[in-house]
Amino acid sequence: MATKKKRTPNVHNDSWVVIAAEPVVDTQKHESDPAFVRLRNPSTDAASLYMLSSDDVQLFEVKAFEEDFHSWFVGQAVQRDGRLLFVTPMDPLYLILPYLIKSGREGKFQPVDQVVMDEEFPACSRLLSCTRSLASLHHVAEEKEVGKLKFHRYSPEKTMNWLKKKVERTVLALKARNISVGEGVKSSTYIRVKSESDYHEEDYLRYAHGLISEYISEDLSKALFKHLQLPELTSPKETEPPSKKRKLSDKPVEAGEDYTKFNSADYARKPPKKMTAAQKSLAKVDKTGMKTMSSFFSPKGKAEKK
Amino acid sequence: MDLSSFEIDNSVSCRLASQIPDVCRTEDCCLGIDEAGRGPVLGPMVYGICFCPVSKKQELKDSKVADSKTLTEAERENLFQKLDEARSYVGWALQILSPNTISTSMLQRTKYNLNALSHDTAIGLVQFALDSGVQLREVFVDTVGPAEKYEEKLSKRFPGIEVTVRPKADSLFPIVSAASICAKVARDRVVKGWNFAEDLGEVDTDYGSGYPNDPKTKAWLLKYLDPVFGYPQFVRFSWSTAQTLMDSKGVIVHWDDDEEDGEKAAQRQNNKSMLSYFSASAGGNDQNPTHQTHRFFSERRLKSLDTL
Repeated sequence: MATKKKRTPNVHNDSWVVIAAEPVVDTQKHESDPAFVRLRNPSTDAASLYMLSSDDVQLFEVKAFEEDFHSWFVGQAVQRDGRLLFVTPMDPLYLILPYLIKSGREGKFQPVDQVVMDEEFPACSRLLSCTRSLASLHHVAEEKEVGKLKFHRYSPEKTMNWLKKKVERTVLALKARNISVGEGVKSSTYIRVKSESDYHEEDYLRYAHGLISEYISEDLSKALFKHLQLPELTSPKETEPPSKKRKLSDKPVEAGEDYTKFNSADYARKPPKKMTAAQKSLAKVDKTGMKTMSSFFSPKGKAEKK
Repeated sequence: MDLSSFEIDNSVSCRLASQIPDVCRTEDCCLGIDEAGRGPVLGPMVYGICFCPVSKKQELKDSKVADSKTLTEAERENLFQKLDEARSYVGWALQILSPNTISTSMLQRTKYNLNALSHDTAIGLVQFALDSGVQLREVFVDTVGPAEKYEEKLSKRFPGIEVTVRPKADSLFPIVSAASICAKVARDRVVKGWNFAEDLGEVDTDYGSGYPNDPKTKAWLLKYLDPVFGYPQFVRFSWSTAQTLMDSKGVIVHWDDDEEDGEKAAQRQNNKSMLSYFSASAGGNDQNPTHQTHRFFSERRLKSLDTL
């Protein structure tokens, strides 16, 4: 049992388990198949995987559910990774925005097809074919029309208002879905005595801002934070009310217990007790009917009473 | 002995019992407990109880049920026949613990070892006799683990019954011998006619005694090892014989309660292993180490991909 198992490196899989929105699967209407494309992730500035439906009509983001110790049985085969891919609709504007911001620094109105260009990710120009792209550019840019040509210039104010609306819509979705936005992790199967309505509007806003920040650059995220007039969190303690009423006295108040250690990131990750592998395997042994070591050293009368 | 109720589903634990003789409901009775098939890597473990009125002890002794281990299979069948003929005063009950039950008990998250499983099965059978109205006064048991502890456990569990736990009880007390015959006969029959739930085609039933040191058993285990699934349910997966073979010949399967060392464990515990400092690029996968995914995604184990 104690033999060390070696993990072999993941072998390349040529099949995936995917949950996709209807329009992705519905290929009958169109001629070409939907395709995975690598595009610049606006939040990390690195490559991420997206999907464009046939004829580039709609953009989807690809998220993978990945947890250790999962595998699939697919038909008569075993698939090593237990990964589940989600292909969900996404607003292409999020991916176009970084290019607008970049060219916006020059302060000139430009045709958008000259703006959305990327040597590293040539597929980015296909974003402009999405039905929503051109029609929604006015949310984040000023428009000028000269003849039949349209020119755009990035507008920070418009963008902030657009993002604020996104946050507000996200808040509505969070409420409708009963997503726990408070501090600390709660199990969704845990039966709550208090209802979720105890959450403040601010908790929702903060959570939604965090979610939207997954789709924008860090600078934009900071700007949006200010725009939403969210108070800066100085200490994580302040998000929760003090558990006990403090007595009023002239004496300087001292903390009874130090809770701050629970807030540090590495506290949560650490197992409560560090045990060596040997101790762990010992802990698993069924000890019924066995005497404890200490019982051999205690006075006899006591041991027998047990 | 009608084994059909076990053979319908041989993946679970199953109880078989004789008719309860009327005298056992009115007269003080003695009861013996013994098991068959504790050691083999193949097939079920069978627990048996046998009971009769204390006054009939001598008659049981005269039928020479003693010392079952020295008997051949034919002799055991013969003696079981005799017990069956004495059904007016001898009753029996069996608990067949399928190999699958044994595997899953011993390999579950909170380990349930074979001794505990044996004790609980024995207790269950004694309780069954009591529930059926058998007037139990004496219980004789062949020991599993330290006799004293076991005796104390059973005495506490069944106050008012005199419990005797002895090693080799099956050769000391005829009622235990009788129980051991019932258990062994049932095990022999079940193993011989094992219904494989798996679709194995024509199964080679020449698996020898089923004990790990039997070369025939070993050869059979090698032959029927599936790299992905391991063995048919006929095999006790918790036996080290089976485990060693699966570890060396099968695909490696990781469970989240496996002990693990090295890189992976270190990663999970959020500390770096020494090795990572020597590898080409530390954390080469994260393009942006400062970026922390929002907890909506991290709590749901969702992440972006850069390739498929």
